Amino acid sequence: MIAPIEATGLGKRFGRTWALDDCSIRVPAGKIAGLVGPNGAGKTTFLHLAAGLLRPTAGEITVFGRSPQGQLLLLLDRVGFVAQDTPLYSGFSVGDMLRFGRELNRRWDQADVEERLRSLDIPFDKRVGQLSGGQRSQVALALALGKHPELLLLDEPVARLDPLARREFMQRLTEAVAEEGSTVLLSSHVMADLERVCDYLIIIAAGRVQVAGEIEALLASHHLIVGPRLNANARLSGVELVKAQHTERQSSLWIRGPVPELGAGWREEPLPLEELVITYLSAPRAVTLPRPQLEEAAS
Amino acid sequence: MTWVTWRQHRLEALWALVLAVLLGGSVGYVALQLSIASGSCPRTIGFSTCLSSDPFGQIAQAILRFNLAQYGLVVFPALAGAFIGAPFVAREIENGTQHLAWTQGVTRMRWLLVKLALVFVPLIAAAALVGYLEVVFLNVQGPQVNRWDIFDQQAPVVPAATFFALALGVAFGAVIGRSIPAMAATLLAFVGARIGIAELVRSHYIAPLMKTTHDLSAVGNQADPTAWWLGFPDYYDSTGHLLGNLLGPSAGQPSYVTQSFQPGDRFWAFQTIEAAILCGLALLIVGCAVYWVTRRAT
Repeated sequence: MIAPIEATGLGKRFGRTWALDDCSIRVPAGKIAGLVGPNGAGKTTFLHLAAGLLRPTAGEITVFGRSPQGQLLLLLDRVGFVAQDTPLYSGFSVGDMLRFGRELNRRWDQADVEERLRSLDIPFDKRVGQLSGGQRSQVALALALGKHPELLLLDEPVARLDPLARREFMQRLTEAVAEEGSTVLLSSHVMADLERVCDYLIIIAAGRVQVAGEIEALLASHHLIVGPRLNANARLSGVELVKAQHTERQSSLWIRGPVPELGAGWREEPLPLEELVITYLSAPRAVTLPRPQLEEAAS
Repeated sequence: MTWVTWRQHRLEALWALVLAVLLGGSVGYVALQLSIASGSCPRTIGFSTCLSSDPFGQIAQAILRFNLAQYGLVVFPALAGAFIGAPFVAREIENGTQHLAWTQGVTRMRWLLVKLALVFVPLIAAAALVGYLEVVFLNVQGPQVNRWDIFDQQAPVVPAATFFALALGVAFGAVIGRSIPAMAATLLAFVGARIGIAELVRSHYIAPLMKTTHDLSAVGNQADPTAWWLGFPDYYDSTGHLLGNLLGPSAGQPSYVTQSFQPGDRFWAFQTIEAAILCGLALLIVGCAVYWVTRRAT
């Protein structure tokens, strides 16, 4: 099956800085994938490359097997994009924005979009500039959903929203994609936004993919073990260490793979997803995993 | 696309319409007044001679003096370039809305070209109409009128300059990505290009003729206002020695004078050549803008 997004050795350079470097990512079909990383990690760059807004400097990216740069017209009907800060024409009324979507898209479900906005009590005659942040992002989401996209890309859609609006946005998003069975790639620098809705996670830092996989599999394969203080240079055999932290009296080890035989005084502690993500993000250079998702794909 | 373009640019369309109506109206009004006043004036005498003896002449001259439209016609293309051309793409980039527009079901190329056509064509047509009214206004003044002094305000050059200014604005806006700096760059480049063309290039479109005559008053605008007299007359004494550009007490006894000029019947050829140059440049710049928007802009 053709993956909604497949990137191989993808790189993008702006001036002298590589915003994205040697990224290999495969977003599986039908999943809600989270793209998480700190500000400036390359999330926006990756989404823009997938949406055909940018051209890669190195490597390649395909969306449904086609290049978003060379064959964009074939993809525009199938890919929805909600850009960072949910840009809309602030002088337009909500109704004008809907007409904008209708005029510029061959595939467009006006009734569906109207219904979506009506259920949120967003008045059509109100100017976009006068909407609340939550309403604005709902309008942007409704617009992107208007063409029933098979792939929906969202760049930090809730970053500026209050917690209530965040929850409502995510709820609408998950409802909509559950109906349609679309694939979603959603970026955020706040893990809590993604945890509830995503079933696939891509952690990206400093332009590189740290880890990618099903959330359940990630949780099952990572462990935090805590025990008496180890020598900082101690070598651990048979353990893939993600991060080690030593206080005066104890050592904490974040490991990937099966939990080794634990000696006296060692115990396993729960490792919630958010902490797992932070672990990877706080050690961006220590670990760069070699394309686990591509190996999976080959098998 | 048509509706979207209209919705985005309707305010600018209104302003352009108001300006075009004001300009066209004032040129047309003055032309009408003049044609009424000149109704009783034999063409052969020359209109200005008539005006001074005609009782209505005072009014007509007052209208002529207050004909701000001539300045307006020079400014119209620059305003269009700066206020409509420059923000055309720059405002989208400033507000981040290009990411919205370019991810709908229309490619960037189509988005840009359709919008450009829908905005450019009416503006250029309006400029053509107003420029044509200026030509009518000059025609009313009879065959002896000096057209060269208001070269930049007449029909083929005004719409061509409007096209050129709009193209500059769109290209600067796309490359710079911010409206205000793009407006400044557009104005500077447009004014620079027009002055450069007028001062350095225009007189060379066709090699000028040289008038050499013993009648010292047979050169210059007084002798033939329909010609474009280039530079200054050179006065020579009977031995062929150059005395200078001015006749004065210190100069020797002038015998003959030479001055290069473009004859009046070349005027429309010059208008056509300059319009073609401006349109050519405009097309080139639009090409750059299309390249930038489709390949480089983010």
